[in-house]
Amino acid sequence: MSTAASGTKEQVLAVALPVLVGLGALAAWQIVTRAFAISPVLLPAPSDIASSFGTIAGVLARNAWQTGSEALVAFGLSAVLGVVAALVLTSSAVVFQAFYPHVVVFQIIPKIALAPLFVFWLGFESPSRLSYSVFISFFPVALATMTGLDRADANALRLCRALTASRWQTLFLVRVPYALPYFFSGLKIAATMSVIGIVVGEFISSKSGLGHYILTAQSRSETTFIFAALVVLCIVGLVPYAIAVTGERLARKWWRG
Amino acid sequence: MKSAAASLDPSASRPDNGQGPRMAVMIGGIWRRVRLAQRVLLPLAVAILTLLAWEYGTRLAKISPLLIAPPSAVWSTLKESFPILLQQAMPTLTETVVGFLLAALLGVTLGTVLVLSRRVRQALYPHILLFQLIPKVALAPLFIVWLGIGPTSRLSFAVFLAFFPVVVATMAGLMSADRDILRLCTALTATRWQTFVSVRVPYAMPYLFAGLKISVTMAIIGVIVGEFVTAQEGLGYIIMFASSADDTALVFAAIAMLCAVGLSLYGLVALAEVLVQRRLGVSITSSEF
Repeated sequence: MSTAASGTKEQVLAVALPVLVGLGALAAWQIVTRAFAISPVLLPAPSDIASSFGTIAGVLARNAWQTGSEALVAFGLSAVLGVVAALVLTSSAVVFQAFYPHVVVFQIIPKIALAPLFVFWLGFESPSRLSYSVFISFFPVALATMTGLDRADANALRLCRALTASRWQTLFLVRVPYALPYFFSGLKIAATMSVIGIVVGEFISSKSGLGHYILTAQSRSETTFIFAALVVLCIVGLVPYAIAVTGERLARKWWRG
Repeated sequence: MKSAAASLDPSASRPDNGQGPRMAVMIGGIWRRVRLAQRVLLPLAVAILTLLAWEYGTRLAKISPLLIAPPSAVWSTLKESFPILLQQAMPTLTETVVGFLLAALLGVTLGTVLVLSRRVRQALYPHILLFQLIPKVALAPLFIVWLGIGPTSRLSFAVFLAFFPVVVATMAGLMSADRDILRLCTALTATRWQTFVSVRVPYAMPYLFAGLKISVTMAIIGVIVGEFVTAQEGLGYIIMFASSADDTALVFAAIAMLCAVGLSLYGLVALAEVLVQRRLGVSITSSEF
């Protein structure tokens, strides 16, 4: 009885505590900004931000659509290209050895610094932002999938050889299932990177999109609008991640089912 | 007995007793050396071929050096403007290092607190996870509103970006200790502190270093994005400035400099990991994710 009761208590606490902290932080923020009469340019109150949605909802929706759709396209492209690259680069030991260190180095270097080059080469329109975003979110997928395909259980591979399985059979029945967890961990990184790529692109080049809107609002000292745009951007940013998580669940069901 | 007798008697048939295994060892050694050479030479060959293709491809296709500067032009720019690049690399490097160290310190502290208290963990962990997911780069303009366009805003932004991976990694690491060993500690009436220091901390190291490696790249990203939007000084500023002046050779030279900074900082973290592991006798290595 008592353990069951404490179990329910734990479950309630696990939900209630974070919600309470969130609400408490918002309340404290509201009270502090009002009590100390903090200028909305420095820190707008949550209520100001909420009411600002009424005035700029249309603008935000338009910009969010542009940023969101570009991020989704970049996310999809980097997932496909990353997997294709991983399959090609793991197709032979020599190719793997020749390219793996380069993929690792490209994963480590601050690729964000290349953003201005993409603007320079491809102009101020969406192709430059898309290719830049694909460029930074491609490597996590490629590296993770390569690592996964390379680390398939040696015993399972030996068994495949003993059973005279073809290359394709080994790939799809052993290597791919082993690589899936790695692929999805890379895909989740790519989900956040694709949004970051689009936003950084919008910071330095665009004439529209949420990143551009945030920068314009900053130059006009409209901090309330910055916060409103950030709220929308966070929601938009969670969409690719949600897709990656759902994909992982489905894949797990499919391969284990 | 038999092998001892064979080694004593030089007239014994060698191919059977002595040289067979020795040959195998020798061939194995050569084979290992060939494979090591392959692992070093193959990537090197790819790099050299890429550079050659870049150099002669741009020349043959008559691509304007303004659009894609050939490696030779990048190299001469790098030599020419090395003093300026070095001077501009200093603020970027200092801000990154300080930002990373602060993020590591704060991240490890918060991660440890979250592991020690279940209630605090329940209350804060979902929020930390959410912060991991949102595109924090978009908050750069806010830091400028609050802290101006000086180094303080870039530094705090770098800390803000680099902090969350360390928290999550520290938590995952401290909670990864083997359950059987923890139970053994309880059975041996080890104090909570003893268990923490001699079991939980060593187990946490691979996770912690994986987090630190992400964190150090995040710190650079934070500083560079800060330099992009504040445009005051640093390699990020040089890159922006050079690309708006159509000087791709300088852009590439600055990027090369930045990559050198990034890779050496990453290398230092990896080196620290090796040293710590040697000291603790842990052999598990962290991966990139």
